[in-house]
Amino acid sequence: MADLVNLTIDGIPVSVPKGTLLVEAAKTVKQEIPVYCYHTKLGPAGLCRVCLVEIEGMPKLQIACNTVVGEGMVVKTQTDKADAGRAMVIELLLVNHPLDCPICDKGGECDLQDFAMAYARSSSDVADPKVPKPKAVDLGPTIVLDEERCIVCQRCVRFDDIIAGEKQLVVKDRGARDIIATATGEPYHHNFTGNVTELCPVGALTSKTYRFKSRPWDLNRTQTSCTQCAVGCQQFADVRYGTLLRTMSVETDDDISDTWLCDRGRYNIGFYSSPERVTQPLYKKGGTFVQVDWTDAIELWAKAIRDALHDGGPSGVGAIGGGRLTNEEAYLLQHAFRGAGVANLDWRAGHQRQATPGAKSGRLADIENAQAIVVAGQSPEELAPVMWLRVLKALRKGAKLIHEREASAALRQAQGDTMQSVALIWDGIDLAAGKTFADAFAGVAALSTFIASEQGNARGAEAMGMLPGSGPGFASISNAGRDGWGMFEDARNGKLAVLSIFGANPVRNSSVSDAMNAALGSVPFLVVSDLFMTETASHATLVLPAKGALEKSGTTTNLAGDLLPVNQALQPPDGVRSDLEMLFDLCDALGVDLPAPDALDAAVISAAAKVPDFALGDALFKTVACEERQPEHRPILSGGGTWQHDPTMAPLSAGNGVLV
Amino acid sequence: MTEREQNFPALLDRLKPECERIIAQYEQKRSALLPLMHVFQQHEGFVSPQAMRAAAEMLDLTHAEVEGTISFYTLLFRKPVGKYVLQVCRGLACSINGAEEIMAYFREKLGIVHSQTTPDGTFSYEEVECLAACDKPTCMQVNLEFVVSLTPQKIDEMLAAMRAGTYETAPMLQTETPAATWTFQQDAQVATGRKSAGAVGVPNPNNAGGVGDASGIIMLDRIVNGDVTFFERTRERAVRDSRAVTEVVENNGSSNAGH
Amino acid sequence: MPVTKVLTAGIGEANLRDVNVYRERGGYKQWERAVRSMSPAEVMDLADKSGLRGRGGAGFPTGRKWQFLPKDKELRYLVCNCDEAEPGTFKDHMLLEEAPHLILEGMLLGAFGIGCHHAFIYIRGEFKRGYQIFCAALEEACKAGYVGKNIFGTGYDLEVTVHRGAGAYICGEETGLLNSLEGKRGEPRLKPPFPAIEGLYGAPTVVNNVETLAYLVPILEKGPEWFSAVGTERSKGYKIVSISGHVQNPGNYEVPLGTTVRELIELAGGLRPGRKLMAVQPGGGSAACIFEEHLDLPYDYESMAKAGSMLGSGAFVVFDDTTDFVKAAHNLVRFFAHESCGQCTPCREGSHWMERVLERLVHNKGVPGDLDMLDRVSGTITGLNLCALGDSIEPFLKSVLRRFRDKFEERVLREETMNV
Repeated sequence: MADLVNLTIDGIPVSVPKGTLLVEAAKTVKQEIPVYCYHTKLGPAGLCRVCLVEIEGMPKLQIACNTVVGEGMVVKTQTDKADAGRAMVIELLLVNHPLDCPICDKGGECDLQDFAMAYARSSSDVADPKVPKPKAVDLGPTIVLDEERCIVCQRCVRFDDIIAGEKQLVVKDRGARDIIATATGEPYHHNFTGNVTELCPVGALTSKTYRFKSRPWDLNRTQTSCTQCAVGCQQFADVRYGTLLRTMSVETDDDISDTWLCDRGRYNIGFYSSPERVTQPLYKKGGTFVQVDWTDAIELWAKAIRDALHDGGPSGVGAIGGGRLTNEEAYLLQHAFRGAGVANLDWRAGHQRQATPGAKSGRLADIENAQAIVVAGQSPEELAPVMWLRVLKALRKGAKLIHEREASAALRQAQGDTMQSVALIWDGIDLAAGKTFADAFAGVAALSTFIASEQGNARGAEAMGMLPGSGPGFASISNAGRDGWGMFEDARNGKLAVLSIFGANPVRNSSVSDAMNAALGSVPFLVVSDLFMTETASHATLVLPAKGALEKSGTTTNLAGDLLPVNQALQPPDGVRSDLEMLFDLCDALGVDLPAPDALDAAVISAAAKVPDFALGDALFKTVACEERQPEHRPILSGGGTWQHDPTMAPLSAGNGVLV
Repeated sequence: MTEREQNFPALLDRLKPECERIIAQYEQKRSALLPLMHVFQQHEGFVSPQAMRAAAEMLDLTHAEVEGTISFYTLLFRKPVGKYVLQVCRGLACSINGAEEIMAYFREKLGIVHSQTTPDGTFSYEEVECLAACDKPTCMQVNLEFVVSLTPQKIDEMLAAMRAGTYETAPMLQTETPAATWTFQQDAQVATGRKSAGAVGVPNPNNAGGVGDASGIIMLDRIVNGDVTFFERTRERAVRDSRAVTEVVENNGSSNAGH
Repeated sequence: MPVTKVLTAGIGEANLRDVNVYRERGGYKQWERAVRSMSPAEVMDLADKSGLRGRGGAGFPTGRKWQFLPKDKELRYLVCNCDEAEPGTFKDHMLLEEAPHLILEGMLLGAFGIGCHHAFIYIRGEFKRGYQIFCAALEEACKAGYVGKNIFGTGYDLEVTVHRGAGAYICGEETGLLNSLEGKRGEPRLKPPFPAIEGLYGAPTVVNNVETLAYLVPILEKGPEWFSAVGTERSKGYKIVSISGHVQNPGNYEVPLGTTVRELIELAGGLRPGRKLMAVQPGGGSAACIFEEHLDLPYDYESMAKAGSMLGSGAFVVFDDTTDFVKAAHNLVRFFAHESCGQCTPCREGSHWMERVLERLVHNKGVPGDLDMLDRVSGTITGLNLCALGDSIEPFLKSVLRRFRDKFEERVLREETMNV
């Protein structure tokens, strides 16, 4: 390739693309150059001055973070001179940095500790006391700043400016008095604040939820996918003594999260250990719930379904859910009910009508390169926050943001013809609007469409067949049943005898909650599987306590169609079961054949690989043509059964026994 | 609300044309930040929080950006100062020619030290870096007007004239009672142990409403049922980032079903 | 005595702030000639041929600086740097208050030479009077048609904007100045890119010192040969030297480059009677000291560099035997610590650390190891910084620390007293 530059780093010849920074080029020869202010996603700032290297022909040490590789450059990263420079910088950083490492959250994963160990002198010439500064500045609802520890690398400030576009964090004052701050009296508060705690190379910025909770080496770490929205960011779940203490981004996850997490994914984790969780199946008898055991619960459920089918036929039974389940669970959900002869199946319990964008489905990275971002319906800023960061990235490159609540023909004329690459983001609610949008931009050469779903695995639920008119892989279903709203209508009219709802709260999610209350109140036998006693669950005859996403394993499909692993990180409370486990038992009780473990995996993978040939706004009740797509390179869960809890693999509290 | 705060909207109206004239001189609005702050300081005696907010609005900046920038510059007083700001040169050329004695004399006569204001609010005293009048040591500035070749006698006369209100240089406007110190915010913070500029009254992170919310319900509520006001915010930010272009296509079509 | 009044001609004799007075003395003639009958390239050529070097401190050849501008980009800016804050320098201050039209004419010529249509002058915040004087001068020049649209009917447009700083030495650094002019914190930018490629608002920009631009006027009038005829081999022309400190008649003296250090001291009236010369800081707060043995060196860029110092901005501070060099060192290090923008580690932490150590020394509270630490740290941080400010701490400190080490050692507590 013509665009490669040849240079030598530590005697090893390297070829890297033109324009590469030295600090990145050095990684190709596995040489780590220490950095504080530089960050791959934030670019060079040249502030910390620790990434010093020697370059032949240059008398002074150069910073690797702002040096672009040159043809024939001879670079030495490990020399006495470079080490001396780095030692000086670290010594200076430590002049006023407190050595409170024993009580610092960052201790053990701190760049200042690591590089001090690698480069700094073991003694100090500092004869004066360190300058005292405020130790716990309340920056906002999520973050606390320790000003003494801050080394003013400005990563947080640059993140807030370049990535989040919020510009709420700035440097105030000057020189040695430099501090990180927000505007006076204004909290540091937006959707992405937590990222600054990860960017901070020292323990200056800490999360309120994690402060003083653990040493990092005592955490058990599991990599999984966030299921709180449809983006599917890869994340680490860090657990200690069976409690989820924090979630962290995965720095290699360029494809999906771009290495960022939103505050919802990062901080909305307290519910796993909430005392309000339902931990026993509950059966309503005479208006009050009584605890029943699982065997009885499953039998009551199966009996109700059997009776209803026997008495009123398949139209009297329905199941709703899938958007908040794993693919395996969604697959088994339709398998169990269809196996019993039920046709009323849908994942849709809210406003959203469609989750699969069809053949023009885009990859998340496409957004960055689009000339125009068209937002139809609700903004993805709240629905899919981390995707929104890509939109901001595109805007910074000069892309146009076009927002419309409604479709319009004028838009087609105004924009459609002139744009070569467009990313269309829709909320999947108004089918007619979606259709118009799809038509308006059908002629665009590079069109990527996305549907920002209300539920994390909505797209997976559709692919797994949780639609009244299509089965796994969008296979045509001859006897289509009622959709979600249809079932609620039937329920209100007394036509539905048994309704099973999985991981959905239509009462809260509906703008017509009174009608919804009436509808659900009219179902003679309502089954709700959830973590909490929700408004919907309070109407139930039978409440089944379910596991949360981090308490089970499986796969999920994000809004770009990537099949992503969900791995168990947490031991669930005693008494709860995953939807998969419940459905297996239900299959047994109903006499529906169970798929073998491997067969279920294969069926899920095969269904997920189907790309339906339709556009935004196409109703999904009719038959759709599909094409097979090459499975994504992303690793799916390895090993055998994805639903079985394998005690030997559990990374749980046992590992911490030494301490107690 | 102080009197100054009450008067601010009227002042802002009065200064608007001048502000706009200044902004128009630059290719990018933000350039006008320091000139605007000089204007406001001239009319209020210091850079008030209201002035900073007004500038942020005029220049499409966040409050944090304005505060962060202002805090870099020592001539912009973020707190009220005395009627006479006495800035004595401590530069090397003055200092080897008797500036130390002059500074000691000032401190004795005023009863305050570097970066303090006298309790009666008449004098603010500061020892500053080289003022570029090294040929006439010791030099100083009174409300930014030079006074050179200082002697104790000259100082006595000057202070007397200031106290009597007959001094040649006009006093600073004083719209608020001056603070004891004004230069660096952090001095006061460290001294009093106050814990910041951050958020006062922000709910506990484990409260419902978002972060750590026990059921995730509230967050969901914001997403599904919340009135969507995000776009204005997005647009504001995009406009700030001048390279981005945004556009809203307004339409009279029927509203979304269910919304 | 080698005083030659070029830029300083008329100062103190006539009211050059009045545009009519300035015009009577030949003012704006060169501007008119340039716009009417010369091409920008010719102006640039004259600047180059004259051998004029930057008078702000770095001494970079002005013509070369202009030539770095990319040829393919039309939008470009000229910024006149009047943020004079280098300790000991007061020449721009004088020019601003006494000869504003000369500065303006120089700016106009410079702007024309690089072919720009919007020039800025960044005036130090403390120069309130100078700012008012310059604004008045600019207004007169606008009325006279020297600035604005269609100048002299040639179709050439040039706007000038006066921008006042607000108290930050670092804004004299050209990229810090550009940030400040853009309404940001005056923090120097990471280089590359250099301002000539990406400067103000991302456009190619030239930042020149007041004195540099002002010299364009006589160079145009008398020709580049007249300018390059004086001075030394590589340091051409004249220079305003701000002489201060322990001399009898401190002030600005305009001399040909190459005048000896001894002559300069004599020019300023010599030392006070009975005093002995200890050191001279020949180029502002960032320069190392030179001593008696250097008195006969010519005052030019090369000789000062050879003596381990620099000519810098032409601030010439003389120290006699009454000087306390520990205090002097503390004074300058405190200056740099106070003015450090705080962006980069070595400058922010290093200057602050050394300031604290020197403060102890001033109060006779040094501890063993302090002097070695000062020597080591000031030396090591030089070259590691983002901009030149951090590198400016070492020269003076080290030159006096090494020359007068005994004076510093007197301030260090001896071990036996420490234990008491």
